[in-house]
Amino acid sequence: MTAPLLITATALALLAGPLGCFVVWRRMAYFGDGLAHSALLGVAIGLIVGMSHQIGMILIAIIFAITLIWLRAQRLLATDTLLGILAHAALSLGIVAMALLGVEDAEVHDYLLGSLDSVNADVLVYVVLGCGLSLGILMRLWPGLLLMTSSEELAHAEGVPVRVYEFLLMLLLGVLVAVAVQIVGILLITSLLIIPASAARLFAQSPEAMAIGGSLIAGLCMLAGLPVASAMAVPLGPTIVALTVALFVLLLAGRLLVDRLKPAG
Amino acid sequence: MSERLIQAKDLCVRRQGGLVLDNVSLALGERDFITLIGPNGAGKSVLLRHLLKLETPDSGSVTHKQGLRIGYIPERFQIDPTLPMPVRRFLTLNNNQPADALAELVAETRCDMLLDKPLAALSGGEMQRVLLARALSNQPHVLMLDEPAQNLDVSGQLQFYRLIDELYEKRDLSVLMVSHDLHMVMSSTRQVVCLYHHICCSGAPDSIARDPEFIQMFGGEMAQMMAVYQHSHSHDHTHDDACDHTHHHEVKP
Repeated sequence: MTAPLLITATALALLAGPLGCFVVWRRMAYFGDGLAHSALLGVAIGLIVGMSHQIGMILIAIIFAITLIWLRAQRLLATDTLLGILAHAALSLGIVAMALLGVEDAEVHDYLLGSLDSVNADVLVYVVLGCGLSLGILMRLWPGLLLMTSSEELAHAEGVPVRVYEFLLMLLLGVLVAVAVQIVGILLITSLLIIPASAARLFAQSPEAMAIGGSLIAGLCMLAGLPVASAMAVPLGPTIVALTVALFVLLLAGRLLVDRLKPAG
Repeated sequence: MSERLIQAKDLCVRRQGGLVLDNVSLALGERDFITLIGPNGAGKSVLLRHLLKLETPDSGSVTHKQGLRIGYIPERFQIDPTLPMPVRRFLTLNNNQPADALAELVAETRCDMLLDKPLAALSGGEMQRVLLARALSNQPHVLMLDEPAQNLDVSGQLQFYRLIDELYEKRDLSVLMVSHDLHMVMSSTRQVVCLYHHICCSGAPDSIARDPEFIQMFGGEMAQMMAVYQHSHSHDHTHDDACDHTHHHEVKP
């Protein structure tokens, strides 16, 4: 286990908590999945053009978001249908492109499920910069985003640029995907967003508490998952997600118990 | 003459081929209190959304006075139950509400007992009062309400309209409201605009009740009821005669 890996995990957890809350509140789980699936195409484009994988993934995330917004505005098909088409188009194109480029299956496997030796010192700068910048933007947008999540019309009437905010939120999710691919892998990124936030929801009384709780849970599970995966020689992503699920189940049991013990009314 | 806060000129809006708004012009001035009435599907909410600039018309224009602040209560407000949002947090979202201003606001709108409750746990009437407090939280010049009392029982409706009236008297506000509850709003409304894709008639409630187009639309009974109600409450206010009564003799489609 290396320092870059620990730093990446921490940065990722900080971002995954609050972003995961919005994925839960705004029902963007399928969007997150689609974005993650398109990441492989981003890696392929990075290889072809000769730039960093992260930049390639963020570029694809931007294209993904713009295409989705444009298609949605045409009002021809439901959003989840559009997402299904886009996500699987991107995933299959990504896998075909990787095969054509001669990337080995083992490496593709690492992208899909995360790997312990994927983070090195070179990408660390991008990770820290990307996460720090995203966190700053997110904190700036936080009140407006909360208002438009409560009621889009209300936020709009009060002067929040709703469409811009929505696009920026998609972009931030793109950054998170680009960072998270290293550790959790494409297939399980959405669970890193949804499960910690949902677990935190069980006891949170305010949006901020839920966001911080989500970050804590995600961070805890990642930091615990690193040594476990390394000691048992199992894939990293699934190990981390299994830990978050275990914590979720524990908190759920606790919540149900509290509800039962509380006198009625 | 009072200054115009919102001015809509010749609004036309098409939806699925049909004209929802047909050449609608409307001006809201300082201290105006306008209630927009009309049958279901007449385009009342659509007009309100255009006056708010939430949507762009197919033709025509909406202009706001420079720096205009609007408080808005949408027709539907449903918070996602996964979002834990106490009333206090909701009222201070995205504005810098100092503590004493918040205390005054919640006292005024009778939300002071609700501050620590989550939004998802409020009753219909409590929710409308919280939304009203939210709408007033940025010191608006205009309050826009889209059927604010539709989910309340009769006594709840009465209380809510009284509260709006109270706030109108107390604050330097203009009010534009969409409402179905004709008999309820007549005592406080200064001006009624009757919409059916185009503006059929507008003016003080008692003159509206005598308008042939109004009678045709709502039936003689409603008109009579309004006239009676208006008559028995006419001592409540003095502004009625000051309102212009404009009458558009347009041919219906």
